[in-house]
Amino acid sequence: MGAAYLKLTGLVKSYDGRTNAVDGIDLDVARGEFVTLLGPSGSGKTTTLMMIAGFEEPTRGSIELDGEDLGRRKPYERNIGVVFQSYALFPHMTVAKNVAFPLRMRRFPAARQASRVREILDLVELGSFADKYPRELSGGQQQRVALARGLVFNPDVLLLDEPLGALDKSLREQMQVELKRIHREVGVTMLYVTHDQTEAMTMSDRIAVFNGGALEQVAPPLEVYHRPRTRFVGEFIGDSNFFSGRRDGERPGLVLLDGIGAHRVARAAWDEIAGSTVDVLIRPERIQLAGEGDEARLPNRVSMKVGVIVNYGDSVLVIGETDGHPLRMRIAGAQPDAIREGATVTVGWGPADAHLIRRD
Amino acid sequence: MLVVVVALVVALFLVAPILIVVPMSFSTAISFQFPPPGYWLGYYVRYFTGTEWLEPTLNSVVIALGATGLTMALVVPASFGYVRFRFRGKSFVNLLIMAPLVVPHVVSALAYYGFLARLRLNGTHLGVIVAHGVLAVPLAFLVITATLKGFDRNLERAAMSSGAGPLATFFHVTLPVLRPGMLVGALFAFLSSFNEAVVALFIAGRGAATLPKKMYESIRLESDPVIAVVSTLLVTTVAIGVLVSVLARGRESGAA
Ligand SMILES: Nc1ncnc2c1ncn2[C@@H]1O[C@H](COP(=O)(O)OP(=O)(O)O)[C@@H](O)[C@H]1O
Ligand SMILES: [Mg+2]
Repeated sequence: MGAAYLKLTGLVKSYDGRTNAVDGIDLDVARGEFVTLLGPSGSGKTTTLMMIAGFEEPTRGSIELDGEDLGRRKPYERNIGVVFQSYALFPHMTVAKNVAFPLRMRRFPAARQASRVREILDLVELGSFADKYPRELSGGQQQRVALARGLVFNPDVLLLDEPLGALDKSLREQMQVELKRIHREVGVTMLYVTHDQTEAMTMSDRIAVFNGGALEQVAPPLEVYHRPRTRFVGEFIGDSNFFSGRRDGERPGLVLLDGIGAHRVARAAWDEIAGSTVDVLIRPERIQLAGEGDEARLPNRVSMKVGVIVNYGDSVLVIGETDGHPLRMRIAGAQPDAIREGATVTVGWGPADAHLIRRD
Repeated sequence: MLVVVVALVVALFLVAPILIVVPMSFSTAISFQFPPPGYWLGYYVRYFTGTEWLEPTLNSVVIALGATGLTMALVVPASFGYVRFRFRGKSFVNLLIMAPLVVPHVVSALAYYGFLARLRLNGTHLGVIVAHGVLAVPLAFLVITATLKGFDRNLERAAMSSGAGPLATFFHVTLPVLRPGMLVGALFAFLSSFNEAVVALFIAGRGAATLPKKMYESIRLESDPVIAVVSTLLVTTVAIGVLVSVLARGRESGAA
């Protein structure tokens, strides 16, 4: 990551003076980066965006853009674009007028307004809708107009607050691809709020995971997925099996899992965990059916009582338990014969399949 | 089924007076008579050619316009304050604003009579404007706060992030989006003044006699069939007003 372009330092927001909606956030965003703010509803994502845009005043902390403190600037002096989930298009203006609005406010000459509006409408593939009113467009088209309006004045940063939240699933996926393309073509720094982890995984350069107003982890998607820094992150993103346990100080590479017993993990990971209590994450797709002769490959094995089987066609999710501890296993491809509801099967995983999180 | 029958009966009761009054306005009878013995336009001619009826009509229009202006000047800022800010005693303020709705008009009329007498405003246009303007506050307040509550404030945020300052945001976005609701509020205020009879009877005197006051006096003294003409014209005006506002709303807020 390069030098910070947008820099949030110790950002705090309290609406009522008692509880903090945003509770001390530090975040550096590089120029041109696509960073997703991901977290459950009420975790402070929107509040963070509103402070960056200038609609809410931070209780404490600072927001810097390209080395300059934004604190004293009004929203209309900030050059930051915003796209809302509700689109927020001006209902009494045509598509072209909506998109031209930021240029009009900046007193661009009419001819340049017109050519820039055409250019940006082509970018969002709405060239032929210039004279329509927002109410004549579908949800997806309206959101493209909002996107065009947010981009037309070449903002320093584009903020998007759950922009696809109101669209249905297939349209959402299509718009995700579109947004990525637009980000690539325009190269603008984007801060994207969502509570949809798939969206965050597929679109972001980095994901900032929010929980209760604070950041749990800021990292590239695959790192967040494979190496979550906290149990919350591991559970919020992707499907997960979590066990609590203790590091066995006598025997390097061994962790004692509650209800399962000795469990072999990668030596490097074991060395990293200094404390004694750990949370162990094993992703369901890392668990496999274990047979005779593969003890070396899958030294960790348990017997799993199969409860529910969810067959997705391209994969099978097996939900069951081992010694009263819930266990989820995902098998790629077709459903194996051994997997039947009520059956008991031996499943296992390798030392490298476990991710250890130190517990405080 | 029962609902439909009840609805039809209610509609009939509402429409029946119109069905009687409109034919009577074209009647040749010298007093009220139904069905009319014959038809002519004589009473329309009488209405339009003398000051006897045109003057109260003009008074009514002037007073209703003035009252509408006063009502809007009070209600628009009050609605913004009420909807957008939290403050102590908010529900009390709401109660206060709604009070003219629950106080019987006779009581208000008496109070205004006493109050305006001190200011020497009885029998003047201004006096009636003040009274009617205040009486219409609850109606307009209901309409305009409802419009404001439905207003998506992200529209203003979108405008500001587009570079529009507070004034530009208000005039380019807030006002145009709220305009249909404001127009309906103003129309209600206008009609409420235009139709008001009780307070006008008490305070309008000779100088500012409104149409409803004149009609009341005319029916008591002479049973002049011109009243049927006035009623017909009133119904037509109100119907056109409502129709225009409905159409305007439909056009501005769209078919969505
Ligand atoms: N305008 C506001 N006034 C008071 N509390 C608010 C306001 N906006 C948000 N909150 C509170 O702040 C917390 C964070 O909200 P928000 O930033 O909207 O979360 P998110 O966008 O992650 O769902 C929530 O508890 C919410 O109730
Ligand atoms: Mg939110």
